[in-house]
Amino acid sequence: MKRAKNLYSYYMVFPALLIYSIFFVVPAIAAFYYSFTDWRLDRIDLKFVGWANFEKIFSDKTLILALKNTAIFAIVTVIGKNLIGLLLAVALNMRLKTKNLLRAIFYSPSILSILVISILFTPMLRTEGTINSLLEAVGLHSLSQAWLTNPSIVIWTIAIVSIWQSAGFQMAIYLAGLQSISQEYYEAAKIDGASSWKSFFKITLPLLLPAININLMLTLIGGLKVFSEVYVMTGGGPGNASQVVGTIILRSFGEGNWGLGTAVNTLLFVVVTIIAIPLLIFMRRKEVTE
Amino acid sequence: MGYTRKITIRNYVVEGFLILASLLVLLPLVVLILGSFKTSAEVLSFSLSLPETWQFSNYVRVFQEGGLSRAFLNSIWITGVSSIINIIASSAASFILARRETKVSGTIYMYFFMGLIAPMSIITTIRVVQGLGFYGSISSVILIYAALNTAFSVFLYSGFIKTIPRALDEVAFLEGASVFGVFFRIVTPLILPVNATVAIMVFMSVWNDITIPVYFLTDSSTWTMPLSIYNFYGKYSRDWNLIFANLVLTSLPVFILYLFGQKYIVSGLTAGAVKG
Repeated sequence: MKRAKNLYSYYMVFPALLIYSIFFVVPAIAAFYYSFTDWRLDRIDLKFVGWANFEKIFSDKTLILALKNTAIFAIVTVIGKNLIGLLLAVALNMRLKTKNLLRAIFYSPSILSILVISILFTPMLRTEGTINSLLEAVGLHSLSQAWLTNPSIVIWTIAIVSIWQSAGFQMAIYLAGLQSISQEYYEAAKIDGASSWKSFFKITLPLLLPAININLMLTLIGGLKVFSEVYVMTGGGPGNASQVVGTIILRSFGEGNWGLGTAVNTLLFVVVTIIAIPLLIFMRRKEVTE
Repeated sequence: MGYTRKITIRNYVVEGFLILASLLVLLPLVVLILGSFKTSAEVLSFSLSLPETWQFSNYVRVFQEGGLSRAFLNSIWITGVSSIINIIASSAASFILARRETKVSGTIYMYFFMGLIAPMSIITTIRVVQGLGFYGSISSVILIYAALNTAFSVFLYSGFIKTIPRALDEVAFLEGASVFGVFFRIVTPLILPVNATVAIMVFMSVWNDITIPVYFLTDSSTWTMPLSIYNFYGKYSRDWNLIFANLVLTSLPVFILYLFGQKYIVSGLTAGAVKG
């Protein structure tokens, strides 16, 4: 038996291990070290500065705003993408004539680049753009807005564009989950006289947990890593109103503030891990007991 | 009778509502496609009107002035090679990790799995690539993409390889096959559908990405499609018709890939989301 195990040589793990370690893990570990230094583009001798970078992050208004925006973006997109994705999946799992066509339409934006979507929406969201003319055409003048130049709503606008793009992807995962649930459960529930609401909460949701789990993880992690949409639609503006962690890292890189930029990155790393790992463990446990 | 009738009516209501909702998805895309055939004055309304005359010349201009052929080749090369490296390395690693059920293999699996969660650290990655002496090159970007997608691919492959009976390997070993022989002759043919899933997923995410090129492709001769569009967008900010034509051209390859690979995307999502 022992011999049989050794037949599977670890050599075959090495190429993947090597590439992944050099280009992902080593930089991630190095970042922990460099976030405690005053690493700059123009200076070669590094000085260890303790928590100074992190103190700077929490005392700088723009950086705080970036953290707040990242949190808003993540929460709004997690809720929006999952709620809409789940509703679409449940509806498109019914016997509808146009179901296949509708599935394809709702999925289609998620195969496009965020860049394409962001550039497309930029002119449509202007004061004189398509969205406002549509709102005015249906009599909703009061909702008409400067979507991307009003500092108090800009991050919400970007989050809604992101939901528009990827709710269809979440829908596809929920659909895959729904289709793996055996019809027998529903038939049994019907015989017992359960309402559709009751079977949704007692059968569908619990059995959909693996799909819910993966979708929550994907949207939450994706939301915290947000960069491209903001970079393309506003560049962090107007002023600094839509800065997020991702754009702050680019800015500190451009300014040569590498130690600070790495500290922001490390903070993101820690936050994502702290939120994701317990969520992952909690969800796994829930799945097993169901 | 009453019950089925109620269901039918409910389905019509749901269907009608979904068709209305699908317009919200379709309209912006129609604005994009129609706009790419309009004149630069006509496009400025960003409306659903048909072009007065269809300007096919927009596409020709974009291709010539945007330097798209170069960017197209760069994108094909980067996405193609990084997908191939990722597929070979991840499937080989997953094969061993799925077969050896030891503490070491479990730890290595978790080590890979962390990559699904943790965000990459860009500035230190740049330093690593500089240290290795190939910052700014296409090959650095290829290796970074291969590394970034390792976690996801190992996750998909491991789940699938576990469902392949070990007895198949054992027979081959008895007949004197090496581990490479078993992997390439027995396992690889059986995991072809997962290879297709991973290839499509990695290809789509790399083709559409802009974050890595923004940081790592410093010379315009190495730019990918998305990056050259971003640059084009800055330069031709008045000519939305050309920008839209450019966006359509970039989306075309992934759209075609999607049409052919649809069933693998769905099966991949099922394997990853539901069984994983």
